[in-house]
Amino acid sequence: MTAPNDATAPTRRTFLALSGATAGLASLGMAAWAQNNVEIDVDAVTNTTHATDVLVIGGGMAGLFAAVKAHDAGAATMIVSKGRLGSSGLTPFGKGFFVFDPATETGTIGDFVAAVSRSALGTNNPVYTRQLAEHSLDRARELTDWGFFDQTLANRPFMRPITERAIPLLERVVITHLIKEDGRIAGAAGFRLDAEETVTIRAKSVILCTGAGGFKPNGFPLGDLTHDGSIMAYQIGAKITGKEWNDGHSTRSTNPAACYDGWGDMFERIPSTNGVEVHHDLGVDINYRAYMTGNPVAGGPGAEQPTDEIAGGPFVPEEFKNRAPPEGGGPGGKGGAPGGPPPGFSPGANVGGASAGMAIHKSEGLVPVDDRCASNIPGLYAAGDALGSHMAGGIYTQIGSSLAGSAVQGAIAGEAAAEYAGLADTPVIPDARIAEIVAEILAPLRREAGYGPAWVTQTLQGIMIPNFVLYIKKGTMMQAALAYVEELRDHHAPMLRAANMHELRLAFETRNMILSAEMKLRASLMRTESRCSHYRLDYPELDDENWRAWINIHQSADGSMQLEKQPFDAWPI
Amino acid sequence: MKLSARTFAIIAGVAIFVGLPLLFYALGDAPRRTILKEALSILTLLAFTMMLGQFFLARSNETLLSLFRPPQIQKVHKVIAYTAIGVIFLHPALIVLPRFLEGGIRPWDAFVTMITDWGNLGIVLGLVAWGVMVVLGVTVFFRKNLIPRFTLRYRGWRYFHGALAVSFTILALWHSIALGRHTDLAMSVFFVTLALLGFALLARLYWAAAPKKPSNALISGGAAT
Amino acid sequence: MTIKSINGCIGCEECVKSCPCDVIRMERGKAVIAYPADCQICHLCRMYCPVDAIEMAPEKSIPVIVPWG
Ligand SMILES: Cc1cc2nc3c(=O)[nH]c(=O)nc-3n(C[C@H](O)[C@H](O)[C@H](O)COP(=O)(O)OP(=O)(O)OC[C@H]3O[C@@H](n4cnc5c(N)ncnc54)[C@H](O)[C@@H]3O)c2cc1C
Repeated sequence: MTAPNDATAPTRRTFLALSGATAGLASLGMAAWAQNNVEIDVDAVTNTTHATDVLVIGGGMAGLFAAVKAHDAGAATMIVSKGRLGSSGLTPFGKGFFVFDPATETGTIGDFVAAVSRSALGTNNPVYTRQLAEHSLDRARELTDWGFFDQTLANRPFMRPITERAIPLLERVVITHLIKEDGRIAGAAGFRLDAEETVTIRAKSVILCTGAGGFKPNGFPLGDLTHDGSIMAYQIGAKITGKEWNDGHSTRSTNPAACYDGWGDMFERIPSTNGVEVHHDLGVDINYRAYMTGNPVAGGPGAEQPTDEIAGGPFVPEEFKNRAPPEGGGPGGKGGAPGGPPPGFSPGANVGGASAGMAIHKSEGLVPVDDRCASNIPGLYAAGDALGSHMAGGIYTQIGSSLAGSAVQGAIAGEAAAEYAGLADTPVIPDARIAEIVAEILAPLRREAGYGPAWVTQTLQGIMIPNFVLYIKKGTMMQAALAYVEELRDHHAPMLRAANMHELRLAFETRNMILSAEMKLRASLMRTESRCSHYRLDYPELDDENWRAWINIHQSADGSMQLEKQPFDAWPI
Repeated sequence: MKLSARTFAIIAGVAIFVGLPLLFYALGDAPRRTILKEALSILTLLAFTMMLGQFFLARSNETLLSLFRPPQIQKVHKVIAYTAIGVIFLHPALIVLPRFLEGGIRPWDAFVTMITDWGNLGIVLGLVAWGVMVVLGVTVFFRKNLIPRFTLRYRGWRYFHGALAVSFTILALWHSIALGRHTDLAMSVFFVTLALLGFALLARLYWAAAPKKPSNALISGGAAT
Repeated sequence: MTIKSINGCIGCEECVKSCPCDVIRMERGKAVIAYPADCQICHLCRMYCPVDAIEMAPEKSIPVIVPWG
């Protein structure tokens, strides 16, 4: 018997190794299409209902202040968060808290706002920039009282005011739906991670403090955030802004996913305050350098910065040149930047995209229709990283202003929502609507087979994370990526499977990331210029004539994604 | 001849009560942490082994009695026991103290979380064992005042002391098997074996003492030479 | 291998609660690493653990996608 000796065919041994590798990935939940071996009895899943005046979704800095201030303004308030208070979202990792203290600052608040606007090339909303400076000291004082500046971990200090006020707190509940009835907000729904239970909460007013999001990138502690708030709000008609901006954090090329290690001792630091220091911290300049000169890029966190100029690339206003520290630097760097390299890490080899899928803090999120964090849906508010307030603009300007901004906006939204709730009638949500939502929540658990969320996420990462897609942008490339993303949206998102509550969370997060990717591509395609952290190779210049405007996104009646301009100096119409 | 037997006994004792726990520690696959934390772990392991060793540094150990004078044994028993009790007394604090040197949870918060985790059997056992050990230490310290109060005087005291020691050992052993990061299978078997041997020695002594006949007959029958 | 091992767990559930990514779950009174692929190596579990039971490693257990190689 003769066997064809095919040199390209895998030998039995390599074949076994290959299938072993696949089986390994499958056991990690990475399998693509597969049977759904559901671990729970989906028919036995129960629904728990709650009711409150003001519902705060999110347990970070914004959620904390939203709840405290809504309660103090007299509203029955409840917090729900998919993670723990002060130990989820980005809040646990930010350590520098900006305070405008008139006693120590040499300039006025007006000077500060003007400096931010100059650095932000007009992309900031000066109303929110001013608000930040005006309220930061008061928020810092409250945090001091609660012990926030005494310890590394935020959960205990955050629990102080919540326990004192006996504000109900639901942790490890993933919210998947906002509920709108009669044109205004009526509540929210989701499920518990620790029990086979869906949760529906009726509320007169809802404040989204759900933070930002990304594509579960490696090297930035963003794995739990997928723009859930924006996507849920988008689906009930809210406007979303700022999707074209880019956070440009990098990570080390050795073990890029090790974000603790990559940030030196930052995560173990005790938070502190800092005063006015306005930069133009791009971050994406390293992406441009990598694009033009190849890899790996020297000048990682803690290393000597390269001094040679690369022609072209993102524009930095003259006034702010050479002032930007290399990717942050000192304690409590900008939106947070690594300090020196930790022991055992050679500074230098560096890779971007650590925060892929996230824009500049406060630039991306719900469009505010006034100076009190209200959205275009009556009763729906947002604060912090979930609100597209453009407080700092499409670029990191004032260092440490992200934590302070979340605190300030949380407090303002809390008071505004309580005021709204005081006048609003108790919403009625028909049982049929609840049943429909519960069915939607449980759908991935009921699928007999489907795509594994982890696999779809990895596929999405492969499309969106490469440097030449969302960092160094080009029309043709973004069109190509958009075609992929639409495919995921239409043929994968509806077929995600989940075997347990953990995977159910991953399924919704994956769906949200796909929609966020679509928003990012569409907004980036629409902005035919380069400004701040948005850099297009095919439109490298600033275009003040056409683009002194933000881009707002909403869902049209036919379900398609619509984009519109909103001039920098105007509120939405 | 006598001297070399003594030396042998000391070497054997050290090998069993210091060498073996160190060996099992070294062979165990619990991850190594900072030198300070590992040093504290080793200290605690040795302290517990020493506590187990007390069953063998007592009247119950005929072999030893034949080699050393009772006051000598008693003195060593006392020094080692007080030291070990001191270490185990601090054991709950030693677990959280290194946290002073790093970010993360503050030592006091960690301590409170730990000792109020009453839903966990291992923690409850540890707390009770710690309490029993404190009673053990305090009663030993005041034994001169206590002994006259027992109906059986010194014998009564011995039963009392032995009962506390056995209770402590059972509770602490269970606690360490349930929770200890270094109490893997080998270490557990080692601890249990020492404990069972110790209990057996004690039981033999008490059973021997219980009937009011001359005890020598029974004991010498069991004494190895 | 992300979060690597848990030794000396006292079952207080602090790590389960403080993990943003729901990597750790309770099983028979002890914390277990249930979903290591989702670990973002942020060390919050380790920092919250009162008895310092958690051992971390810088490697991720699934392929890592970065923007340039
Ligand atoms: C490494 C790093 C360093 C930083 N350094 C600084 C710094 O030095 N100074 C500074 O000012 N800023 C810094 N920042 C930024 C700052 O931490 C954030 O901007 C700020 O904490 C955002 O707070 P937030 O409350 O708006 O959102 P987050 O803290 O992100 O909170 C979001 C909350 O929403 C919850 N949530 C999300 N989705 C759902 C859902 N579907 N259902 C229920 N709950 C949900 C999450 O569980 C979480 O509790 C840093 C960030 C990082 C990552």
